[in-house]
Amino acid sequence: MSGRAELVRGVGLVKRFGGIVANDAVDFVVAEGDLLGLIGPNGSGKTTLINMLTGHLEPDGGDVLVRGQRMSGRPPNVYAAMGVARTFQQTQLFGRMTVLENMLVPGLARPHSTWDEVARRARRYLDFLSLSDVEQLPAKNLSGGQQKLLELGRCLMLEPAVLFLDEPFAGVHPRLRDKLLDRIRELHQGGRTFVVVDHDMESILRISRRLVVMARGSKIADGEPDAVRADQAVLAAYAGL
Amino acid sequence: MSWDYLLVQVTNGAVIGVIYALIAVGVTLIFSILKIVNFAHGDLYMLGGYCAYYVIEYGGVPPLAAMVVAMAALFLGAMILERLMLTPLYSDATERKDEYGLIVTFGLAYFLRNTAVIAFGPFPLKPPSFIPGVQRIGNVIVTNDRLVAGGVGVALIVGLLYFMKRTIWGQALDAVSQSRDAAAIVGINAQRFNSFAFGFGAALAAAAGALVAPIFSLAPDMGVLPNIHAYVIVILGGMGSVGGSIIAGLLLGESENLFTAFFPDPTRAFAYTNAFGVLVLMVFLIFRPQGLFGRRHLRME
Amino acid sequence: MRGLPIAIVLAAAALALANAGRLNPYWTHVAIIAMYYGILAASWSLLAGYVGLFSLSHMAFASIGGYTSALLIQWFRLPIPLGIVAGVVMCCALGGAIGWVCLRMSGPYLAIFTLGFSEIVRITISTEDEVTAGMAGLHTHSLLASATRLPYLYVAFALLALSLLLMGLLVRSRWGLFFRAIREDEQAAAASGVAVARCRIVAFAVASGFAGLAGGFYAHYIGIMTPSVGDLDEMAKLLVMTVIGGMERLPTAVGGAFVVEFLLEWLREYGQWRLPVFGIVLLLTMRFARNGLVTPFWLQFLRLGEARVSPLSAAPTVPDKESGT
Repeated sequence: MSGRAELVRGVGLVKRFGGIVANDAVDFVVAEGDLLGLIGPNGSGKTTLINMLTGHLEPDGGDVLVRGQRMSGRPPNVYAAMGVARTFQQTQLFGRMTVLENMLVPGLARPHSTWDEVARRARRYLDFLSLSDVEQLPAKNLSGGQQKLLELGRCLMLEPAVLFLDEPFAGVHPRLRDKLLDRIRELHQGGRTFVVVDHDMESILRISRRLVVMARGSKIADGEPDAVRADQAVLAAYAGL
Repeated sequence: MSWDYLLVQVTNGAVIGVIYALIAVGVTLIFSILKIVNFAHGDLYMLGGYCAYYVIEYGGVPPLAAMVVAMAALFLGAMILERLMLTPLYSDATERKDEYGLIVTFGLAYFLRNTAVIAFGPFPLKPPSFIPGVQRIGNVIVTNDRLVAGGVGVALIVGLLYFMKRTIWGQALDAVSQSRDAAAIVGINAQRFNSFAFGFGAALAAAAGALVAPIFSLAPDMGVLPNIHAYVIVILGGMGSVGGSIIAGLLLGESENLFTAFFPDPTRAFAYTNAFGVLVLMVFLIFRPQGLFGRRHLRME
Repeated sequence: MRGLPIAIVLAAAALALANAGRLNPYWTHVAIIAMYYGILAASWSLLAGYVGLFSLSHMAFASIGGYTSALLIQWFRLPIPLGIVAGVVMCCALGGAIGWVCLRMSGPYLAIFTLGFSEIVRITISTEDEVTAGMAGLHTHSLLASATRLPYLYVAFALLALSLLLMGLLVRSRWGLFFRAIREDEQAAAASGVAVARCRIVAFAVASGFAGLAGGFYAHYIGIMTPSVGDLDEMAKLLVMTVIGGMERLPTAVGGAFVVEFLLEWLREYGQWRLPVFGIVLLLTMRFARNGLVTPFWLQFLRLGEARVSPLSAAPTVPDKESGT
């Protein structure tokens, strides 16, 4: 991470659900400019990790730091205000509000925002995501892929430094998936940092520069995609399924 | 305060506790299968009491048999209500199921309570005793009605436990409560269990209503507080477990009666006894805001 | 709301007020009570319809507002409007506190908690009869030294209009957007930067404050406060009104209050039967028209304005698919 600013850091994160250890002392760093793939088999603790790093789940042990600040006990909206945005594994939109209203919420939640400025930005992002035509429809009427795009757009309205995308390609039509990948790449080139979670390596490998692999609640590899792919532990984890 | 008075209060507390447990078990059962908090449960309890009363008065049926008739009537009636009003809860097309279940059961309570005022009159009614007379143990005097209520209540709960643990229907009910999908895979028709659970819960409430009728007499609004008490018990009692509900029911019945006994100002004691149970509920909810029914709290959405 | 509907609403209100003197005392009273319920229905819809906080203690707050005002005036000889304001402040503070305490509760749990709160308020007021006069009822001073009810009608109307204006501004501001976002998905709202806790507390405080205002007015209009003002039956009646009207919009909630209150009086000869009948209407509304019975008319009314003002640029009206049932 030489020279690049550290955005989010998890130190020794532990989370237990009943008797199951979902995350066992996981260390995790996202630095500015990363386009990081977080992969691992189902149930390996990826979503739990994301939930802790974005303030949606209080860790049982360890600490989350955003730009060096300790975050324990803070609600998710503080994370959002500090530039940490996220999507959800099962798309969570404001279903009966219009597409435009979905975009306005995060925009207007920012301090010193005005309706005009926020509406203008919202329309620009909707255009960027090819959602302009449906801006007056209730969000729940969109197709699955469009909903994923809208959720990404809603994140962008926060003008975040880092976006955590939880399985953005799941159940998305291949053509829309390519569009989503293009947009992510474009935004990354524009300076945004991404953490993309998926259990399937293929899509992620097309864009990511760094891979983190999880298995059974622990981080088992972290590095360049090629190196990670050759890693024995990773192969074992995937083969062991 | 004499020991005898205390013993009387303890005995009364135990009887009320059993009654509370019967109501609470029904709430738990309905919640675990239908995933709704039934705000009309106290009113089903009220209906059970009145049903038994009229069967005794006009049918000349002995009180305990009347209780069985009331249970059967409420079982059927509740199943019809469930079919009429609650089926949208199982459809994917219905949004905001929490809100739907809440408003519908709350509205049902309003409907039943106001219908009861018209049908049964606002004045308290009292059916005849199960067995007239009292039992005397030393200086402690307990009416036979309380003993019958406690005894039959315990018998019903034991029967329920047997049913849940030892019969195929009970096991299937348990399976549906844990996972609707898994139950469907092994060939259980979950839809049928929605009606069954709602009717079954109502029948238990009806039994409770019929059992307390000779002790406290009947009134259209008699269900309001027991309904809240049922929630207290469900929280206290091991979150959805039948055994826990029984212990919690006894605990609440006892603590209320002792609260009355020890409250410094006797003219207010009775009123604040009810508030005491409600306060316990609120404090528990503050510390367990989602924990009313613990693990069994699986949403259907 | 477009220009034409606003004009029509204002004209209708002016016409109604100008002719209010023709109502006989009985129907004047009914109109005043309808406005009392109108304020309560609108503020409850703010809480339950907009934010999705299904509180069952709304009528308890009306009762707290009324008793606070009546008692303060009795003890300190405050001017009546000041007493009512004190009741509103009290309800805001208590409502905010309840909102804070149940921040982590949702759906039925919040309903159970607020049901418990409302029962405790009722039990305390009936039991502490040395202070509150208990079930016998607490006599209150009259707001106006008027022999007729007509001036009260104007006051009630002014209070309803003021409440609707303030709440309307609130739900049209960014707060209204946040409220609906929380109703739709609290987790996603938080992830979008919405200060969920603050919104929920504010919503509780504001809605309870308006309930207190309604209660304060009621106390000094009727002349007596009893514990039953805040009991469960009243809460059920308010719920019936709001849901039948349409709980997700302020005007439809008020419409529901007006329609139900009017029908309850009009059908008085049927006595007790009216109440269960409205229970059935509520259940049927939930089953077959979840947006409420007034809502379709209201939407039609709003469209009237759109068509006249700008037939071409009218935004594609979203088909009203909100009910889903």
